[in-house]
Amino acid sequence: MNSKVVAHAHNSDAADILGFWLYIMTDCILFGTLFAVYLVLHTSTSYGPSLKHLIDLNYVLGETMFLLLSNFAFGLAIIASYRKKGFMTSLMLLLTFALGLAFVFMEVKEFIHLVHEGYSWDVSGAASAFFTLVGTHGLHVSLGLIWILVVTMQIMTMGLNGAVTRRLTYLGLFWNFLDIVWIFVFSVVYLFGAI
Amino acid sequence: MGGTSTDYGYSNKTFGVYAFGFILCIFLTLVPFYAVIHSIASYEYLAAIILVSAVAQFFVQIVCFLRLNTKTEQGKINVWSFVFTGVVAFVVIAGSVWIMCNLNYFMMH
Amino acid sequence: MIEQLIFGKLSLDVFPKDALTLYLGGGLLFSGFIAIVGSLTYFKKWRYLWEEWVCTVDHKKIGIMYIVVAFVMFFRALVQAMIMRSQQAIAVGPGHTGFMTPELYNQFFSEHGVIMIFFVAMPLIFGLINLVLPLQIGARDVAYPYLNSLSFWLTAVSAGLIMITLMIGNFERAGWLAYAPLSGLKYSPDVGVDYFIWILQVAGVGSLLAGINFIVTILKMRCPGMTLMKMPIFVWASFCSMLLVALAFPILTVTLALLALDRTMDMHFFTQEMGGNIMMYINLIWAWGHPEVYILVLPVFGVFSEIVATFSRKRLFGYTTMVWAILSIGFLSFVVWLHHFFTMGAGANVNAFFGIMTMIIAVPTGVKVFNWLFTMYRGDINFSTPMLWMMAFFSTFAIGGATGVIMAVPPIDFQTHNSLFLVAHFHNVIIGGVVFGFFAGITYWFPKVFGFVLDEKRGKYAFYLWVVGFYVAFMPLYPLGLMGAMRRNYRFDNLDFQPYLIVAAIGALLIFAGFLCQLWQLFYSIKHRDRLRDKTGDPWDGRTLEWSLSSPAPFYNFAHIPDVSKIDDFWYKKQEWERAGGGKPQNTAYEDIHMPRSTPYGFIISVLAGLFGFSMVWHMWLPAIFAIVSIIIAVVVKSFNLDTDYYVKASEVEEIENLHFAEYKS
Repeated sequence: MNSKVVAHAHNSDAADILGFWLYIMTDCILFGTLFAVYLVLHTSTSYGPSLKHLIDLNYVLGETMFLLLSNFAFGLAIIASYRKKGFMTSLMLLLTFALGLAFVFMEVKEFIHLVHEGYSWDVSGAASAFFTLVGTHGLHVSLGLIWILVVTMQIMTMGLNGAVTRRLTYLGLFWNFLDIVWIFVFSVVYLFGAI
Repeated sequence: MGGTSTDYGYSNKTFGVYAFGFILCIFLTLVPFYAVIHSIASYEYLAAIILVSAVAQFFVQIVCFLRLNTKTEQGKINVWSFVFTGVVAFVVIAGSVWIMCNLNYFMMH
Repeated sequence: MIEQLIFGKLSLDVFPKDALTLYLGGGLLFSGFIAIVGSLTYFKKWRYLWEEWVCTVDHKKIGIMYIVVAFVMFFRALVQAMIMRSQQAIAVGPGHTGFMTPELYNQFFSEHGVIMIFFVAMPLIFGLINLVLPLQIGARDVAYPYLNSLSFWLTAVSAGLIMITLMIGNFERAGWLAYAPLSGLKYSPDVGVDYFIWILQVAGVGSLLAGINFIVTILKMRCPGMTLMKMPIFVWASFCSMLLVALAFPILTVTLALLALDRTMDMHFFTQEMGGNIMMYINLIWAWGHPEVYILVLPVFGVFSEIVATFSRKRLFGYTTMVWAILSIGFLSFVVWLHHFFTMGAGANVNAFFGIMTMIIAVPTGVKVFNWLFTMYRGDINFSTPMLWMMAFFSTFAIGGATGVIMAVPPIDFQTHNSLFLVAHFHNVIIGGVVFGFFAGITYWFPKVFGFVLDEKRGKYAFYLWVVGFYVAFMPLYPLGLMGAMRRNYRFDNLDFQPYLIVAAIGALLIFAGFLCQLWQLFYSIKHRDRLRDKTGDPWDGRTLEWSLSSPAPFYNFAHIPDVSKIDDFWYKKQEWERAGGGKPQNTAYEDIHMPRSTPYGFIISVLAGLFGFSMVWHMWLPAIFAIVSIIIAVVVKSFNLDTDYYVKASEVEEIENLHFAEYKS
């Protein structure tokens, strides 16, 4: 009887993680569609300005590094969770949070700057596509930040029990996925846009 | 993973692999970045450099960070769903671009 | 200012000006609402409703609720169809405008399409999968019971929202897919398109979650011994359909979000000026829309595969080819979407590619039809109602498929595009395929859910009325289309059309009579449920695991998780028992069963999501923010609650099982 319960719990654990993985797959399609829209519309600048002269690549490289570092910090948190070091895990999560927050902060600042330069989302199809693609990524990162805080709180109050460890794994997948999306945003939107 | 026997389908994360992946990612970010900043080549070559590094970094993250593998049943499901999603995403992106370019072309000609 | 933030564009002027809509529609809606609330209060059923249905995470109850929602919406859209058919039959010839204004007519056909696809066909799929799939794979529940309840309530709440659209404000007039630029702010400044967007967003999230839920259920919850290639075909078909849900619905979410951004943030994705591209909207919506068609029809292929094997008393012919046919249809459905807009002006190479791909889909579909026919060949066929629906499906779906292949040829499509020929074609496959399939499936599995079979005689009346009504209603549309009648017209000038339109209206009336017959069948069967009681749990001599249970299935499904070794394992076990000279043996070693606890969170979050959608429609920003923040808080609070399961005592299981076996042996 007891062994059956354990078997059931394991089963549902693996099922949970698969479900979350599938959710990330659907998010892949979501971003894929946004990329398709961007690729189709990025030349439709109409009478508005072109993005090319407004991009500061050095600034974007800074954003990229923050996101990459936060991803690395999350890896450290997961490694700490293997060793059942709750405090270290929370600390690394907070570091991840700070780095992610820096990324979002820089992105928002960049958006404000662009709008001030006359490149608002309503000037052309290309601008709409740019703000929507990059903004959706930023929105995902922001939701991830809230989630990091929730999981950190759960580690502090409940300790690294099964459910919390599982959520940490979900969050890790999500956070890593956002970095992977950013590779393509960085390459397709910013690098290609600056050539 | 990490002391429990649950099969998540992802290998354990170790510091060594993680650090290695991290350094590779930084490298693969900086290469296209400097290539573009200094315009070291013509458009075609620059585009190739950007795409190759992006795809390379993508695989580095998948292998070193996500730790996808096909060693277990769960891992196989993860990888297959990922591949299938990739195919569909490719169909949607490439198909849309192909169709829309074609439509735009015939709008003008 | 603050009033503006709370009430947005909502005011007392939003009620319809048009007397017909106001009194007839409003009266119906209001009296229905009063009747439900009144009877719940009178019979003191509020607590029962809340505890047993609203909070339930039992997949069978959720399935029932899905189907109830589907039938309520079906009734509404069917009535709308009849009103439109009568309008078209009357309003022919110069000077005749019928009894509907073009504004109302446009809202009707848009709403008819949206309801039929999103709130009839989709809930029917999810309902049937919920009812049957866990039983067929030997599971006690779905992978995420709580998410399942959330998915259902999201669908139900958005169905509720679409119910009020004609009363509070108006629905959109741009067709069921709301093509840009007509759906843009410039040409549709009222709230109709916003309703469309937010209703579908809420329902779409529900469908997406349900899709993920069932994929995981199939991959992770199968009983021991049931490898992928030993699953019943219905499970395979649902699996593929749910994969399509997971991969196609994000495209819809994005497309609608972009349209919403166009309308509220002044962006330029699908506008005609400032670099927007209206063709991109049509491209994206069909990149979702075509897979959607197969999302609807694949589970039905599964239903028919189960039915044909059971009622022919033979194992399904060509199981492996069936699986591969389903998978290839699933993949091909992603590479044909351009055939919905051949006429938009792509080059010959693009049109040819998508035309050929479309024709190729007919190949795996043909494989399936022949598999079913060979299953029936020399079978011991029992022509009960489910099998009758299947026979009707064969001919109807073949005609619909053939006209589909005809229209896959771009030059022919140029002639028939947007004509009634097309309308006839897709009703032919959707009614002949999807709707008949669900009727067959519901009749087939009804005893497993409620414990008694549906009355055959009334079922046959309904069947004949439906089939005859279908042909009378839709066959005239083929010649009409070829004569040049275009779809979505509230009136025609050409008097030659009138005879055909009158015949079509009579057909619609026959279909409605069929629908009423089904209601009669239902109430008649409930009244005579003792006579129609299914004591064995296996009224059709079935082949799959769900028939090994009592009817209705107990809430924990399986007292002992079954162990299977081949396809149709239960069928072979039955023969073994027969040879041993007895019936189904009772294994009396009962154990405690681990079950998920009921939870109100699915309902609460969905109501908040409904409030969010409604607020976005009317630009009520404060309520919208309140709703979204509450949803986040609810999710976080839920995540702190780890006490989500309980144990059913072995003694309770034993009691329930003993009852069944006592009845079984009598």
